[in-house]
Amino acid sequence: MQASIETRDLTRRFGSFIAVDRLTLRVERGEVFGFLGANGAGKTTAIRMLCGLLQPSSGTGKVAGCDIQTETDGIRSRIGYMPQKFALYPDFSVEMNMRLYGGLYGLKGQALRDRMDVISRLLNLEPLLSQRTDSIPWGWQQRLNLACAILHKPEILFLDEPTASVDPVSRRHFWDIIAELAASGTTIFVTSHYMDEVEYCGRVAILVQGRIAALDTPVGLKTTYGHASLGEVFLDVVERAQTTSSTQ
Amino acid sequence: MKASLRRILVAGHKEFLHIIRDPQTLAIVILMPVIMMFLYGYALNSDIHNAQLLVEAPVPSAASRALTSRLNASTFFSVPGSIPASADPLQPFRSGQARALLRLPPDFEASLRRPGGAALQVIVDGSDPSVGSRMRGAVEGAVQKTLMDYLDIEPPHILDQRAVVLYNPEQRSAMFFVPGLMAVILLMISALLTSIAITREKETGTMGQLLITPLRPGEIIAGKLLPYVVLASLDGLLILIVGRLIFGVQVAGNLFFLAICSLIYVFTALSIGLLVSTIAKRQHHAMMMALGATMMPTVILSGFIFPISSMPLFLQVIAHIVPATYYLQIVRGIILKGVGLRELWQPLLILGFEGLLLFGLSIRKFRIKL
Amino acid sequence: MSLALRIRDLIKDHAGEKALKGISFEVPEGALFGIIGADGAGKSTLMTILATLMDADSGEVEELGLDLKKDFKILRHRIAFMPQRFSLYPDLTVVENLHFFADLYDLDPAEKQKRLSDLLKFSALEPFQKRRAGLLSGGMKQKLALCCCLLHRPSLIYLDEPTVGVDPVARRDFWILLKSLKSEGITLVVSTPYMDEAKLCDTLLLLDHGKVLDSGSPREMLSRYPYSLYRIRGPKPLAYSARKEPPQGVSLVYPAGGELRAAVDGGMNASQDDLWKDFPGANASESMTPDIEDLFFALLSREQASLEKTVK
Ligand SMILES: Nc1ncnc2c1ncn2[C@@H]1O[C@H](COP(=O)(O)OP(=O)(O)OP(=O)(O)O)[C@@H](O)[C@H]1O
Ligand SMILES: [Mg+2]
Repeated sequence: MQASIETRDLTRRFGSFIAVDRLTLRVERGEVFGFLGANGAGKTTAIRMLCGLLQPSSGTGKVAGCDIQTETDGIRSRIGYMPQKFALYPDFSVEMNMRLYGGLYGLKGQALRDRMDVISRLLNLEPLLSQRTDSIPWGWQQRLNLACAILHKPEILFLDEPTASVDPVSRRHFWDIIAELAASGTTIFVTSHYMDEVEYCGRVAILVQGRIAALDTPVGLKTTYGHASLGEVFLDVVERAQTTSSTQ
Repeated sequence: MKASLRRILVAGHKEFLHIIRDPQTLAIVILMPVIMMFLYGYALNSDIHNAQLLVEAPVPSAASRALTSRLNASTFFSVPGSIPASADPLQPFRSGQARALLRLPPDFEASLRRPGGAALQVIVDGSDPSVGSRMRGAVEGAVQKTLMDYLDIEPPHILDQRAVVLYNPEQRSAMFFVPGLMAVILLMISALLTSIAITREKETGTMGQLLITPLRPGEIIAGKLLPYVVLASLDGLLILIVGRLIFGVQVAGNLFFLAICSLIYVFTALSIGLLVSTIAKRQHHAMMMALGATMMPTVILSGFIFPISSMPLFLQVIAHIVPATYYLQIVRGIILKGVGLRELWQPLLILGFEGLLLFGLSIRKFRIKL
Repeated sequence: MSLALRIRDLIKDHAGEKALKGISFEVPEGALFGIIGADGAGKSTLMTILATLMDADSGEVEELGLDLKKDFKILRHRIAFMPQRFSLYPDLTVVENLHFFADLYDLDPAEKQKRLSDLLKFSALEPFQKRRAGLLSGGMKQKLALCCCLLHRPSLIYLDEPTVGVDPVARRDFWILLKSLKSEGITLVVSTPYMDEAKLCDTLLLLDHGKVLDSGSPREMLSRYPYSLYRIRGPKPLAYSARKEPPQGVSLVYPAGGELRAAVDGGMNASQDDLWKDFPGANASESMTPDIEDLFFALLSREQASLEKTVK
């Protein structure tokens, strides 16, 4: 079967600085793939390349069967992207924002209304539809952000720190929704700094200075590194990589 | 006091970094005065230079030829030669071939020496009233003078009327627009840039941060204004240099005095920007407001282009509120007339007073909470 | 012991909605005080008011012995505040941002240099000093903002969700830094969505819908945990959805890391050793002591669940 995401030696430089360094990975359809790394490790940069928003310096990649350098239009209609920085219009109502995003993806009329109904029910956004986006709590704004990213039924969903600053209860709800989407065949590519929720991923990659330093299932990682939690594994991997790079 | 000054300098230095990190805006700020000078200097020039003048001479004669060559020799006109009588004398105006037409009768040469004299007709394009009337005066003067020489007669000694044109004897418009541009550009740059710089701080959310540092509101403002005073002074200097080198405008008065007056004016302008920024929440609001509050009144009401004395009363009242009105009196006084404080203390006082008033008002309105 | 903060009946309306509905609490001098609560509970509103940047509608606040309303100008010199969405000057470089804030505080040059290098080390921003702040990654920006707030030594520091988006390594180092500030006698008021961080505070305040739901030291608060808590191993944690009704006798079920947790009403009960049998795919269950995150669930998720149900 064709992979959802497949990259080979994907690299991005900014001047002489290498933000993403020969990234090679393969993510299957319906998988929940956790993409971890310290601040500045290159997660957002990699995601922006996979979404066709940023040109790689070298290397190749295919997302939903489309080449990330030449078929960016094809990619955009097949993926949903929830950026790290909030990207909705704060002064619009919740409904207006959804309508707007649906429109951008070519949904209109009854089809758009139906889809908006389904999504707002799935995410429990119904009571908030008429409110101004910046007047609702942050966790709910993030749900709206997610709603807008899945309106057009993307095959792959890129979530860049979707639960940052979201409270523990809302975070569970968020992951419930992610699980539901994955169960229906959507590939999820997600970054997070909450090590407990990363346990819900099928496989996890830990990025250190643009390179993949570890990649396995959560259970596999814990066994390999001999730790009880992914948080400890993370600290271990990052610190090992740092000491080797500083002794070089 | 010393600590306060130090903090102002720290804030000013930061603002200066913002300015040099944005080379595009910096380029605009530096190039705009130069571009505007060239626009005003060449495009909006009401000096008459080589205007097309047709001479309609149905019967060419020695007198008409003398007239034609004399008119052609003046720098005002260019005369392509005389043309025969036409049925429709307005045709060359409609087609844009001529700005002025001098019509001579068929018996021009003979009628000159008859008692009662010759009948001539001058037709000028009056679309631009001031250019039209100046062309008319120029043609009439030239005709009179040529014909007297031609007939070898002295002007009658009834009245010896001599006119003296003061301050700008050659009536060059550069002398007029260089001071005007000083007023417009200094005001626009100062008001616009400060209002944007302060609203940007609100928009990005850093204002709250500044408020709870030891920076006092007055210091935040002073630090913000500092680099723009420098920038505006640079622009003023640039206008004077370009005016001198390219348009030949010399400053008749004291340069140092001009600098002091300009600084007071810049202070007033910055206060306008400040006031705008206390009201505006976003950068583009600030920009529109600052432009509206400075550009229009300065260009139209300050007496830069239209004389204030010929405005209707209520506009005159407004014109006397616009700071540029007073500054314009001052710069024109210094650049053209070479006068000093003794003659200009009044507008200077009003300007300074307006500056203080606006500054005080904006400090009071400056939000110390979010 | 003297108080850094004394708050009585603080009320604030935000665009017609009650953001704070009468809040009272006290913070002793030199404390590390944590504020937790659901999204929209009023944490940021509270902190912005205490940081002198917003006026409350009513209520009394005594801050460092001064009256917040009257003496806010003096207070501004003695406190620091990192707002939730702090933004730096994106067109200035990392060091330029740091120097700007450092210079505003008239630090002794040697002291300034030392703090700058300490902070650059903690934030791992040392190699990126010359980079413009706008080009940093999200978490790097957050760390730089933090550094800018920690340059000087005020008596009282407010940090509104300072570690959001910050990676685990830097978070750990950040809390070490907070402890060392505390040991210098500085009072710290910190809000956080990370319950493992909340545990590190001396005293916690749990806010909910603009009211204080509970407060005390983490240990005190945990002693009031209303359920018996069980860990259930085996099933895929996400396979058990929070939308489903929990099994008979169980009040709450939620995933936590690689396991499920079940909160059971009514204390120890022998029959609950085989609690796991109610969960498909499970193979063991054992009783465990709750932590702050469990408490958060116990106190807040019922309400959330009822909200979700009224929605359906
Ligand atoms: N346009 C740019 N110019 C220069 N450097 C850049 C640019 N964009 C990103 N970088 C650098 O690339 C590195 C990786 O950034 P990226 O945003 O991918 O990190 P991240 O893994 O998403 O971090 P975080 O967890 O903080 O979000 C950082 O050092 C960042 O400063
Ligand atoms: Mg990122």
